[in-house]
Amino acid sequence: MRPGPMTTSPSTEAVPAHEDLTTAPALEVAGLTVTFTGEGRRATADVVALRDVDLRVAAGEFVAVVGPSGCGKSTLLRILAGLTPAGAVVAARTLTTPVDANGTRTTAWMPQRDGLLPWRRAWSNALVGARIAGVGRAVADERARTLFDAFGLAGFERAWPHELSGGMRQRLALLRTCLPGRPVLLLDEPFGALDAITRRRMNAWLAGLDLAGHGRAAGAGRAVVLVTHDVDEALLLADRVVVLSDRPGRVVLDLRVPRGDPTSARQALLEALDPQGGTGASGGGEVRARRGPRRRGRGAAARAARRTARG
Amino acid sequence: MHRWRRVLAPTVAGVVLLVGWEAGVRASGLPAFVLPAPSQVARTAVDVAPLLGGHVVTTLTEAGLGLLVGAVVGLLLAVLIAAFPWVQDTVYPLVTLTQTVPTVVLAPLLILWAGFGLLPKVVLVALTAFFPVLVAAVTAMAAVDAEHAEMVAGLGGTRRHQFWLVQLPASVPGALGGLRVAATYAIGAAVVAEYLAGQSGLGVFVQRSRKGYEVDQILVAVVLVAVLTGLLFLLVDGLARLATPWQRPSNRSRPGRTPA
Repeated sequence: MRPGPMTTSPSTEAVPAHEDLTTAPALEVAGLTVTFTGEGRRATADVVALRDVDLRVAAGEFVAVVGPSGCGKSTLLRILAGLTPAGAVVAARTLTTPVDANGTRTTAWMPQRDGLLPWRRAWSNALVGARIAGVGRAVADERARTLFDAFGLAGFERAWPHELSGGMRQRLALLRTCLPGRPVLLLDEPFGALDAITRRRMNAWLAGLDLAGHGRAAGAGRAVVLVTHDVDEALLLADRVVVLSDRPGRVVLDLRVPRGDPTSARQALLEALDPQGGTGASGGGEVRARRGPRRRGRGAAARAARRTARG
Repeated sequence: MHRWRRVLAPTVAGVVLLVGWEAGVRASGLPAFVLPAPSQVARTAVDVAPLLGGHVVTTLTEAGLGLLVGAVVGLLLAVLIAAFPWVQDTVYPLVTLTQTVPTVVLAPLLILWAGFGLLPKVVLVALTAFFPVLVAAVTAMAAVDAEHAEMVAGLGGTRRHQFWLVQLPASVPGALGGLRVAATYAIGAAVVAEYLAGQSGLGVFVQRSRKGYEVDQILVAVVLVAVLTGLLFLLVDGLARLATPWQRPSNRSRPGRTPA
Protein backbone atom coordinates (compact mmCIF):
# COMPACT_ATOMS: atom_id res chain seq x y z
CA MET A 1 0.00 0.00 0.00
CA ARG A 2 1.43 3.32 -1.01
CA PRO A 3 1.47 5.79 1.83
CA GLY A 4 -0.69 8.87 1.91
CA PRO A 5 0.62 12.40 1.71
CA MET A 6 4.10 12.95 3.01
CA THR A 7 4.39 13.95 6.61
CA THR A 8 6.27 17.17 6.84
CA SER A 9 8.99 17.60 9.36
CA PRO A 10 8.43 20.67 11.44
CA SER A 11 11.83 22.10 12.09
CA THR A 12 13.21 25.18 13.65
CA GLU A 13 14.78 26.29 10.41
CA ALA A 14 13.69 26.22 6.85
CA VAL A 15 15.65 23.34 5.40
CA PRO A 16 15.37 22.50 1.73
CA ALA A 17 13.42 19.40 0.93
CA HIS A 18 15.47 16.26 1.41
CA GLU A 19 15.77 13.50 -1.14
CA ASP A 20 13.21 11.49 0.80
CA LEU A 21 10.55 13.39 -1.10
CA THR A 22 11.62 11.72 -4.32
CA THR A 23 12.44 8.21 -3.16
CA ALA A 24 10.24 5.67 -1.47
CA PRO A 25 10.97 5.38 2.25
CA ALA A 26 13.08 2.42 3.32
CA LEU A 27 11.10 2.20 6.49
CA GLU A 28 7.66 3.50 7.27
CA VAL A 29 5.47 3.39 10.33
CA ALA A 30 2.17 5.22 10.67
CA GLY A 31 -0.22 5.27 13.59
CA LEU A 32 1.76 2.72 15.55
CA THR A 33 0.26 1.98 18.95
CA VAL A 34 1.81 -0.63 21.21
CA THR A 35 0.04 -1.88 24.31
CA PHE A 36 1.42 -4.26 26.88
CA THR A 37 -1.43 -6.32 28.19
CA GLY A 38 -1.45 -6.80 31.93
CA GLU A 39 -2.23 -10.49 31.73
CA GLY A 40 0.77 -12.06 33.53
CA ARG A 41 0.74 -13.27 37.09
CA ARG A 42 -0.67 -10.09 38.51
CA ALA A 43 -3.55 -8.79 36.43
CA THR A 44 -2.38 -5.21 36.12
CA ALA A 45 -3.88 -2.60 33.88
CA ASP A 46 -2.77 -2.46 30.27
CA VAL A 47 0.19 -0.17 29.66
CA VAL A 48 0.28 1.84 26.46
CA ALA A 49 3.95 2.05 25.52
CA LEU A 50 3.62 3.91 22.22
CA ARG A 51 0.67 5.90 20.93
CA ASP A 52 0.04 6.85 17.32
CA VAL A 53 3.71 7.04 16.34
CA ASP A 54 4.66 8.01 12.78
CA LEU A 55 8.16 7.48 11.45
CA ARG A 56 9.47 7.53 7.91
CA VAL A 57 13.08 6.95 7.12
CA ALA A 58 14.47 7.22 3.60
CA ALA A 59 17.42 5.31 2.23
CA GLY A 60 20.54 7.32 2.92
CA GLU A 61 19.01 8.99 5.93
CA PHE A 62 20.24 8.80 9.53
CA VAL A 63 17.43 9.33 12.02
CA ALA A 64 17.90 9.50 15.77
CA VAL A 65 15.03 8.74 18.11
CA VAL A 66 15.46 10.39 21.50
CA GLY A 67 13.24 10.28 24.52
CA PRO A 68 13.28 9.80 28.26
CA SER A 69 13.85 6.35 29.76
CA GLY A 70 10.80 4.14 29.45
CA CYS A 71 9.21 6.13 26.63
CA GLY A 72 9.13 3.08 24.39
CA LYS A 73 11.91 4.03 22.00
CA SER A 74 13.58 0.64 22.32
CA THR A 75 10.20 -1.02 21.85
CA LEU A 76 9.75 0.99 18.66
CA LEU A 77 13.10 -0.22 17.37
CA ARG A 78 12.40 -3.82 18.32
CA ILE A 79 9.12 -3.75 16.45
CA LEU A 80 10.90 -2.38 13.40
CA ALA A 81 13.40 -5.23 13.77
CA GLY A 82 10.63 -7.83 14.04
CA LEU A 83 11.42 -8.55 17.68
CA THR A 84 8.01 -7.84 19.11
CA PRO A 85 8.34 -8.11 22.89
CA ALA A 86 6.27 -10.73 24.70
CA GLY A 87 2.86 -9.48 25.71
CA ALA A 88 2.90 -6.53 23.31
CA VAL A 89 -0.12 -5.84 21.14
CA VAL A 90 0.90 -3.95 18.03
CA ALA A 91 -1.56 -1.92 16.00
CA ALA A 92 -0.56 0.28 13.09
CA ARG A 93 -2.07 1.79 9.95
CA THR A 94 1.18 1.20 8.11
CA LEU A 95 4.18 -0.86 9.19
CA THR A 96 6.50 -1.28 6.24
CA THR A 97 9.93 -2.78 6.68
CA PRO A 98 12.08 -3.92 3.78
CA VAL A 99 12.02 -7.58 2.78
CA ASP A 100 14.07 -9.53 0.27
CA ALA A 101 12.83 -11.74 -2.54
CA ASN A 102 12.07 -14.58 -0.10
CA GLY A 103 10.00 -12.30 2.09
CA THR A 104 12.62 -12.29 4.84
CA ARG A 105 13.06 -9.09 6.76
CA THR A 106 16.23 -7.27 5.75
CA THR A 107 16.73 -5.08 8.78
CA ALA A 108 19.81 -5.41 10.94
CA TRP A 109 19.30 -4.67 14.63
CA MET A 110 22.05 -4.02 17.11
CA PRO A 111 21.29 -4.31 20.83
CA GLN A 112 22.76 -2.16 23.57
CA ARG A 113 24.80 -5.11 24.82
CA ASP A 114 27.14 -6.35 22.14
CA GLY A 115 25.76 -9.91 21.90
CA LEU A 116 29.12 -11.22 20.74
CA LEU A 117 29.30 -15.02 20.84
CA PRO A 118 32.04 -15.96 23.32
CA TRP A 119 32.97 -19.13 21.41
CA ARG A 120 33.78 -17.27 18.19
CA ARG A 121 36.87 -15.21 17.56
CA ALA A 122 36.45 -11.59 16.48
CA TRP A 123 36.60 -12.42 12.78
CA SER A 124 34.13 -15.24 13.08
CA ASN A 125 31.80 -13.08 15.17
CA ALA A 126 31.91 -10.41 12.47
CA LEU A 127 30.67 -12.95 9.91
CA VAL A 128 27.61 -14.03 11.92
CA GLY A 129 25.35 -11.44 10.30
CA ALA A 130 26.61 -12.29 6.83
CA ARG A 131 26.00 -15.98 7.43
CA ILE A 132 22.41 -15.28 8.50
CA ALA A 133 21.87 -13.03 5.50
CA GLY A 134 23.24 -15.72 3.19
CA VAL A 135 26.19 -13.65 1.99
CA GLY A 136 28.81 -15.89 0.38
CA ARG A 137 31.90 -16.65 2.41
CA ALA A 138 34.34 -15.08 -0.06
CA VAL A 139 32.33 -11.86 -0.31
CA ALA A 140 31.91 -11.72 3.47
CA ASP A 141 35.64 -12.23 4.06
CA GLU A 142 36.44 -9.49 1.60
CA ARG A 143 34.04 -7.05 3.26
CA ALA A 144 35.31 -8.02 6.71
CA ARG A 145 38.87 -7.22 5.64
CA THR A 146 37.85 -3.71 4.61
CA LEU A 147 35.66 -3.15 7.65
CA PHE A 148 38.19 -4.40 10.20
CA ASP A 149 40.47 -1.60 8.98
CA ALA A 150 37.71 1.01 8.94
CA PHE A 151 36.53 0.01 12.43
CA GLY A 152 40.02 0.06 13.92
CA LEU A 153 39.97 -3.65 14.63
CA ALA A 154 42.79 -4.70 12.33
CA GLY A 155 45.18 -6.98 14.18
CA PHE A 156 42.45 -8.30 16.47
CA GLU A 157 40.92 -10.76 14.00
CA ARG A 158 41.93 -13.78 16.09
CA ALA A 159 41.05 -12.28 19.49
CA TRP A 160 38.32 -13.80 21.63
CA PRO A 161 35.55 -11.34 22.54
CA HIS A 162 36.57 -11.31 26.22
CA GLU A 163 40.00 -10.13 25.20
CA LEU A 164 38.62 -6.95 23.61
CA SER A 165 37.91 -3.67 25.39
CA GLY A 166 34.35 -2.42 25.78
CA GLY A 167 34.72 0.04 22.93
CA MET A 168 36.19 -2.59 20.63
CA ARG A 169 33.42 -5.03 21.45
CA GLN A 170 30.79 -2.46 20.53
CA ARG A 171 32.62 -1.64 17.29
CA LEU A 172 32.81 -5.32 16.48
CA ALA A 173 29.09 -5.67 17.17
CA LEU A 174 28.41 -2.73 14.87
CA LEU A 175 30.68 -4.26 12.24
CA ARG A 176 28.74 -7.51 12.46
CA THR A 177 25.52 -5.53 11.99
CA CYS A 178 26.85 -3.57 8.99
CA LEU A 179 28.65 -6.39 7.20
CA PRO A 180 25.64 -8.13 5.61
CA GLY A 181 24.86 -4.86 3.79
CA ARG A 182 21.25 -4.73 4.92
CA PRO A 183 19.38 -1.65 3.71
CA VAL A 184 18.16 -0.72 7.20
CA LEU A 185 20.28 -0.48 10.34
CA LEU A 186 18.51 -0.30 13.70
CA LEU A 187 20.88 0.70 16.49
CA ASP A 188 19.60 0.56 20.07
CA GLU A 189 21.91 2.79 22.12
CA PRO A 190 24.95 1.14 20.59
CA PHE A 191 27.34 2.87 22.98
CA GLY A 192 24.97 3.20 25.92
CA ALA A 193 26.86 0.63 27.98
CA LEU A 194 30.21 2.39 27.63
CA ASP A 195 31.73 4.93 29.97
CA ALA A 196 31.27 8.59 29.07
CA ILE A 197 34.72 9.18 27.62
CA THR A 198 34.75 6.06 25.46
CA ARG A 199 31.22 6.84 24.31
CA ARG A 200 32.26 10.32 23.23
CA ARG A 201 35.17 8.85 21.28
CA MET A 202 32.96 6.21 19.69
CA ASN A 203 30.45 8.84 18.63
CA ALA A 204 33.11 11.04 17.06
CA TRP A 205 34.37 7.99 15.18
CA LEU A 206 30.88 6.93 14.17
CA ALA A 207 30.10 10.42 12.88
CA GLY A 208 33.05 10.11 10.52
CA LEU A 209 32.01 6.68 9.31
CA ASP A 210 28.93 7.81 7.36
CA LEU A 211 26.87 4.67 7.92
CA ALA A 212 23.94 6.01 5.92
CA GLY A 213 26.13 6.68 2.90
CA HIS A 214 25.35 10.33 2.26
CA GLY A 215 27.81 10.56 -0.57
CA ARG A 216 25.96 8.02 -2.65
CA ALA A 217 23.19 8.56 -5.13
CA ALA A 218 19.72 9.08 -3.75
CA GLY A 219 18.25 5.79 -2.62
CA ALA A 220 21.56 3.96 -2.75
CA GLY A 221 22.46 4.62 0.86
CA ARG A 222 21.26 2.91 3.97
CA ALA A 223 18.49 3.95 6.31
CA VAL A 224 19.82 4.17 9.85
CA VAL A 225 17.67 4.52 12.96
CA LEU A 226 19.54 5.22 16.17
CA VAL A 227 17.82 5.13 19.53
CA THR A 228 19.47 7.15 22.26
CA HIS A 229 18.72 9.22 25.32
CA ASP A 230 21.63 11.52 24.61
CA VAL A 231 20.65 14.69 22.74
CA ASP A 232 24.24 15.54 21.81
CA GLU A 233 24.82 12.07 20.41
CA ALA A 234 21.66 12.46 18.32
CA LEU A 235 22.69 15.89 17.01
CA LEU A 236 26.21 14.73 16.19
CA LEU A 237 25.19 11.65 14.25
CA ALA A 238 21.75 12.17 12.77
CA ASP A 239 20.24 14.05 9.85
CA ARG A 240 16.94 14.15 11.66
CA VAL A 241 15.98 13.81 15.28
CA VAL A 242 12.61 12.46 16.38
CA VAL A 243 11.64 13.21 19.97
CA LEU A 244 9.33 10.87 21.85
CA SER A 245 7.40 11.96 24.92
CA ASP A 246 7.12 10.18 28.24
CA ARG A 247 5.05 6.99 28.20
CA PRO A 248 2.91 6.57 26.24
CA GLY A 249 5.51 7.59 23.71
CA ARG A 250 4.25 10.01 21.08
CA VAL A 251 6.28 11.93 18.53
CA VAL A 252 6.45 15.44 19.95
CA LEU A 253 9.08 16.82 17.59
CA ASP A 254 10.55 15.79 14.26
CA LEU A 255 13.55 18.01 13.71
CA ARG A 256 15.93 18.20 10.79
CA VAL A 257 19.40 18.83 12.14
CA PRO A 258 20.75 22.02 10.61
CA ARG A 259 24.22 21.99 9.18
CA GLY A 260 26.65 24.12 11.09
CA ASP A 261 25.61 25.46 14.46
CA PRO A 262 23.33 23.01 16.29
CA THR A 263 22.73 25.28 19.31
CA SER A 264 19.21 26.28 18.40
CA ALA A 265 18.35 22.73 17.38
CA ARG A 266 19.68 21.51 20.72
CA GLN A 267 17.54 24.03 22.51
CA ALA A 268 14.46 22.93 20.59
CA LEU A 269 15.16 19.28 21.36
CA LEU A 270 15.62 19.87 25.06
CA GLU A 271 12.42 21.89 25.21
CA ALA A 272 10.52 19.16 23.42
CA LEU A 273 11.93 16.55 25.76
CA ASP A 274 10.98 18.45 28.86
CA PRO A 275 8.20 20.91 28.13
CA GLN A 276 7.92 21.86 31.79
CA GLY A 277 10.84 24.12 31.18
CA GLY A 278 14.18 24.94 32.67
CA THR A 279 16.06 22.36 30.68
CA GLY A 280 17.98 24.69 28.44
CA ALA A 281 20.24 25.73 31.25
CA SER A 282 20.57 22.35 32.91
CA GLY A 283 22.44 21.06 29.90
CA GLY A 284 24.29 17.78 29.86
CA GLY A 285 22.00 16.41 27.23
CA GLU A 286 20.92 13.54 29.46
CA VAL A 287 17.21 13.17 29.61
CA ARG A 288 15.47 12.22 32.82
CA ALA A 289 12.06 10.69 32.81
CA ARG A 290 9.34 12.67 34.51
CA ARG A 291 5.99 11.48 35.65
CA GLY A 292 2.68 13.25 35.78
CA PRO A 293 0.71 15.42 33.42
CA ARG A 294 2.42 18.16 31.52
CA ARG A 295 1.57 21.31 29.74
CA ARG A 296 1.27 20.92 26.05
CA GLY A 297 4.34 22.73 24.89
CA ARG A 298 5.78 23.16 21.50
CA GLY A 299 5.77 19.41 21.00
CA ALA A 300 2.03 19.31 20.97
CA ALA A 301 1.96 22.22 18.56
CA ALA A 302 4.37 20.45 16.30
CA ARG A 303 2.22 17.37 16.37
CA ALA A 304 -0.86 19.35 15.53
CA ALA A 305 0.99 20.92 12.63
CA ARG A 306 1.93 17.51 11.34
CA ARG A 307 -1.61 16.26 11.65
CA THR A 308 -2.82 19.14 9.53
CA ALA A 309 -0.16 18.52 6.96
CA ARG A 310 -1.12 14.88 6.75
CA GLY A 311 -4.70 15.82 6.10
CA MET B 1 52.54 -20.31 51.28
CA HIS B 2 48.91 -21.02 50.63
CA ARG B 3 49.70 -23.22 47.64
CA TRP B 4 52.27 -25.14 49.63
CA ARG B 5 49.71 -25.87 52.26
CA ARG B 6 47.33 -27.22 49.65
CA VAL B 7 49.95 -29.73 48.49
CA LEU B 8 51.65 -30.41 51.78
CA ALA B 9 48.64 -30.87 54.04
CA PRO B 10 46.99 -33.76 52.16
CA THR B 11 50.38 -35.43 51.58
CA VAL B 12 51.20 -35.34 55.28
CA ALA B 13 47.71 -36.58 56.14
CA GLY B 14 48.10 -39.47 53.70
CA VAL B 15 51.51 -40.46 55.07
CA VAL B 16 50.24 -40.30 58.65
CA LEU B 17 47.32 -42.55 57.72
CA LEU B 18 49.60 -45.10 56.01
CA VAL B 19 52.05 -45.15 58.91
CA GLY B 20 49.16 -45.55 61.38
CA TRP B 21 47.75 -48.40 59.30
CA GLU B 22 51.15 -50.14 59.10
CA ALA B 23 51.79 -49.73 62.82
CA GLY B 24 48.25 -50.84 63.71
CA VAL B 25 48.47 -54.02 61.65
CA ARG B 26 51.90 -54.94 63.05
CA ALA B 27 50.92 -54.23 66.65
CA SER B 28 47.60 -56.10 66.53
CA GLY B 29 48.88 -59.02 64.47
CA LEU B 30 45.80 -59.08 62.21
CA PRO B 31 46.01 -61.90 59.65
CA ALA B 32 46.79 -60.79 56.09
CA PHE B 33 43.47 -62.17 54.75
CA VAL B 34 41.65 -59.65 56.96
CA LEU B 35 43.84 -56.57 56.60
CA PRO B 36 47.35 -56.63 55.11
CA ALA B 37 49.82 -53.87 55.96
CA PRO B 38 50.48 -51.23 53.29
CA SER B 39 54.04 -52.47 52.91
CA GLN B 40 52.69 -55.89 52.00
CA VAL B 41 50.22 -54.38 49.55
CA ALA B 42 53.13 -52.60 47.90
CA ARG B 43 55.12 -55.83 47.65
CA THR B 44 52.11 -57.63 46.17
CA ALA B 45 51.66 -54.80 43.68
CA VAL B 46 55.20 -55.39 42.41
CA ASP B 47 54.62 -59.15 42.28
CA VAL B 48 51.34 -59.05 40.36
CA ALA B 49 52.31 -56.12 38.10
CA PRO B 50 53.04 -58.38 35.09
CA LEU B 51 49.55 -59.90 35.45
CA LEU B 52 47.78 -56.56 35.62
CA GLY B 53 48.70 -55.16 32.19
CA GLY B 54 46.05 -57.11 30.30
CA HIS B 55 43.36 -56.38 32.87
CA VAL B 56 44.09 -52.66 32.81
CA VAL B 57 43.94 -52.56 29.00
CA THR B 58 40.56 -54.34 29.03
CA THR B 59 39.09 -52.03 31.67
CA LEU B 60 40.42 -48.90 29.99
CA THR B 61 39.06 -50.00 26.60
CA GLU B 62 35.61 -50.59 28.07
CA ALA B 63 35.63 -47.33 29.99
CA GLY B 64 36.96 -45.29 27.06
CA LEU B 65 34.56 -46.73 24.48
CA GLY B 66 31.64 -46.49 26.89
CA LEU B 67 32.47 -42.89 27.68
CA LEU B 68 32.69 -42.02 23.99
CA VAL B 69 29.42 -43.74 23.12
CA GLY B 70 27.74 -42.20 26.16
CA ALA B 71 28.94 -38.70 25.29
CA VAL B 72 27.83 -38.95 21.67
CA VAL B 73 24.42 -40.41 22.56
CA GLY B 74 23.96 -37.87 25.35
CA LEU B 75 24.78 -34.91 23.12
CA LEU B 76 22.62 -36.20 20.24
CA LEU B 77 19.70 -36.73 22.58
CA ALA B 78 20.21 -33.25 24.05
CA VAL B 79 20.14 -31.78 20.54
CA LEU B 80 16.91 -33.63 19.75
CA ILE B 81 15.38 -32.46 22.99
CA ALA B 82 16.33 -28.86 22.25
CA ALA B 83 15.00 -29.06 18.70
CA PHE B 84 11.71 -30.85 19.39
CA PRO B 85 9.90 -30.21 22.67
CA TRP B 86 7.83 -33.37 22.24
CA VAL B 87 11.03 -35.42 22.36
CA GLN B 88 11.73 -33.94 25.76
CA ASP B 89 8.24 -34.81 27.00
CA THR B 90 8.50 -38.35 25.64
CA VAL B 91 12.08 -39.28 26.33
CA TYR B 92 13.09 -37.43 29.48
CA PRO B 93 10.98 -39.45 31.95
CA LEU B 94 12.16 -42.73 30.39
CA VAL B 95 15.77 -41.60 30.48
CA THR B 96 15.46 -40.61 34.11
CA LEU B 97 13.94 -44.02 34.81
CA THR B 98 17.02 -45.79 33.42
CA GLN B 99 19.08 -43.93 35.98
CA THR B 100 17.01 -45.19 38.89
CA VAL B 101 18.12 -48.76 38.19
CA PRO B 102 21.51 -49.53 39.80
CA THR B 103 24.33 -50.83 37.60
CA VAL B 104 24.54 -54.05 39.60
CA VAL B 105 20.94 -54.87 38.75
CA LEU B 106 21.24 -53.93 35.10
CA ALA B 107 24.54 -55.74 34.46
CA PRO B 108 23.23 -59.36 34.70
CA LEU B 109 20.50 -58.55 32.18
CA LEU B 110 22.98 -57.00 29.75
CA ILE B 111 25.31 -59.97 30.16
CA LEU B 112 22.41 -62.31 29.50
CA TRP B 113 21.57 -60.49 26.29
CA ALA B 114 24.99 -59.43 25.03
CA GLY B 115 27.30 -62.18 26.28
CA PHE B 116 30.48 -62.11 28.33
CA GLY B 117 32.53 -59.99 25.97
CA LEU B 118 33.23 -56.32 25.58
CA LEU B 119 29.77 -55.22 24.44
CA PRO B 120 27.75 -55.45 27.69
CA LYS B 121 30.48 -53.55 29.57
CA VAL B 122 30.62 -50.78 26.98
CA VAL B 123 26.83 -50.53 27.04
CA LEU B 124 26.83 -50.34 30.82
CA VAL B 125 29.49 -47.63 30.95
CA ALA B 126 27.66 -45.71 28.20
CA LEU B 127 24.41 -45.97 30.19
CA THR B 128 26.04 -44.38 33.22
CA ALA B 129 28.02 -41.84 31.19
CA PHE B 130 25.34 -40.45 28.89
CA PHE B 131 23.09 -39.17 31.65
CA PRO B 132 25.32 -36.44 33.12
CA VAL B 133 26.27 -35.37 29.58
CA LEU B 134 22.63 -35.21 28.55
CA VAL B 135 21.44 -33.30 31.60
CA ALA B 136 24.30 -30.79 31.46
CA ALA B 137 23.86 -30.19 27.72
CA VAL B 138 20.07 -29.82 27.95
CA THR B 139 20.44 -27.38 30.83
CA ALA B 140 23.02 -25.35 28.92
CA MET B 141 20.85 -25.20 25.79
CA ALA B 142 17.78 -24.18 27.76
CA ALA B 143 19.75 -21.46 29.52
CA VAL B 144 21.00 -19.85 26.30
CA ASP B 145 21.75 -16.18 26.82
CA ALA B 146 18.71 -14.20 25.67
CA GLU B 147 21.13 -11.57 24.47
CA HIS B 148 22.61 -13.97 21.91
CA ALA B 149 19.26 -15.31 20.77
CA GLU B 150 17.97 -11.77 20.25
CA MET B 151 21.10 -10.75 18.39
CA VAL B 152 20.58 -13.58 15.92
CA ALA B 153 16.87 -12.79 15.57
CA GLY B 154 17.65 -9.09 15.11
CA LEU B 155 19.90 -9.91 12.18
CA GLY B 156 17.09 -11.87 10.55
CA GLY B 157 18.10 -15.31 11.86
CA THR B 158 15.65 -18.21 11.72
CA ARG B 159 15.27 -21.04 14.23
CA ARG B 160 17.84 -22.99 12.24
CA HIS B 161 20.34 -20.17 12.69
CA GLN B 162 19.52 -19.98 16.38
CA PHE B 163 20.31 -23.65 16.71
CA TRP B 164 23.59 -23.73 14.79
CA LEU B 165 24.94 -20.35 15.84
CA VAL B 166 23.81 -20.17 19.46
CA GLN B 167 22.21 -23.23 21.02
CA LEU B 168 24.59 -25.94 19.87
CA PRO B 169 27.85 -24.12 20.66
CA ALA B 170 26.40 -22.89 23.95
CA SER B 171 25.75 -26.49 24.96
CA VAL B 172 29.36 -27.58 24.45
CA PRO B 173 30.83 -26.32 27.75
CA GLY B 174 27.86 -27.84 29.57
CA ALA B 175 28.20 -31.17 27.82
CA LEU B 176 31.92 -31.22 28.60
CA GLY B 177 31.16 -30.50 32.24
CA GLY B 178 28.85 -33.51 32.20
CA LEU B 179 31.57 -35.56 30.54
CA ARG B 180 33.96 -34.69 33.37
CA VAL B 181 31.44 -36.09 35.84
CA ALA B 182 30.88 -39.13 33.63
CA ALA B 183 34.63 -39.79 33.47
CA THR B 184 34.68 -40.34 37.23
CA TYR B 185 31.98 -43.04 36.93
CA ALA B 186 33.30 -44.81 33.85
CA ILE B 187 36.05 -47.02 35.32
CA GLY B 188 33.89 -47.93 38.28
CA ALA B 189 31.00 -48.98 36.04
CA ALA B 190 33.33 -51.08 33.88
CA VAL B 191 34.82 -52.82 36.94
CA VAL B 192 31.39 -53.66 38.35
CA ALA B 193 30.32 -55.19 35.02
CA GLU B 194 33.52 -57.23 34.85
CA TYR B 195 33.11 -58.38 38.43
CA LEU B 196 29.74 -59.92 37.59
CA ALA B 197 30.92 -61.73 34.48
CA GLY B 198 33.98 -61.55 32.29
CA GLN B 199 37.26 -63.06 31.25
CA SER B 200 39.51 -60.08 31.66
CA GLY B 201 39.60 -56.73 33.40
CA LEU B 202 40.23 -55.34 36.87
CA GLY B 203 36.81 -56.55 38.00
CA VAL B 204 37.77 -60.10 37.06
CA PHE B 205 41.05 -59.67 38.91
CA VAL B 206 39.19 -58.53 42.03
CA GLN B 207 36.76 -61.43 41.71
CA ARG B 208 39.58 -63.99 41.52
CA SER B 209 41.47 -62.36 44.40
CA ARG B 210 38.35 -62.42 46.56
CA LYS B 211 37.92 -66.13 46.00
CA GLY B 212 41.50 -66.70 47.24
CA TYR B 213 41.11 -64.33 50.21
CA GLU B 214 43.95 -62.31 48.73
CA VAL B 215 42.98 -59.03 50.31
CA ASP B 216 46.34 -57.46 49.40
CA GLN B 217 45.56 -58.03 45.70
CA ILE B 218 42.11 -56.51 46.10
CA LEU B 219 43.72 -53.46 47.67
CA VAL B 220 46.14 -53.21 44.75
CA ALA B 221 43.14 -53.18 42.42
CA VAL B 222 41.44 -50.52 44.56
CA VAL B 223 44.45 -48.24 44.28
CA LEU B 224 44.70 -48.96 40.57
CA VAL B 225 41.02 -48.08 39.97
CA ALA B 226 41.49 -44.81 41.85
CA VAL B 227 44.62 -43.93 39.88
CA LEU B 228 43.06 -44.84 36.51
CA THR B 229 39.93 -42.81 37.31
CA GLY B 230 42.12 -39.84 38.22
CA LEU B 231 44.09 -40.18 34.99
CA LEU B 232 40.93 -40.51 32.90
CA PHE B 233 39.49 -37.43 34.56
CA LEU B 234 42.64 -35.45 33.84
CA LEU B 235 42.56 -36.60 30.20
CA VAL B 236 38.92 -35.62 29.73
CA ASP B 237 39.53 -32.33 31.52
CA GLY B 238 42.48 -31.59 29.24
CA LEU B 239 40.46 -32.43 26.12
CA ALA B 240 37.61 -30.26 27.39
CA ARG B 241 39.98 -27.32 27.79
CA LEU B 242 41.33 -27.85 24.29
CA ALA B 243 37.79 -27.94 22.93
CA THR B 244 36.75 -24.69 24.61
CA PRO B 245 39.69 -22.32 24.14
CA TRP B 246 37.47 -19.26 24.59
CA GLN B 247 36.83 -19.99 28.24
CA ARG B 248 38.77 -17.76 30.56
CA PRO B 249 41.06 -19.57 33.00
CA SER B 250 39.06 -18.15 35.91
CA ASN B 251 35.89 -19.65 34.52
CA ARG B 252 37.27 -23.09 33.78
CA SER B 253 36.64 -24.36 37.26
CA ARG B 254 32.92 -23.77 36.68
CA PRO B 255 31.88 -26.10 33.87
CA GLY B 256 28.87 -25.05 31.89
CA ARG B 257 29.45 -21.37 32.40
CA THR B 258 30.32 -19.18 29.45
CA PRO B 259 32.17 -15.96 30.11
CA ALA B 260 29.90 -12.94 30.01
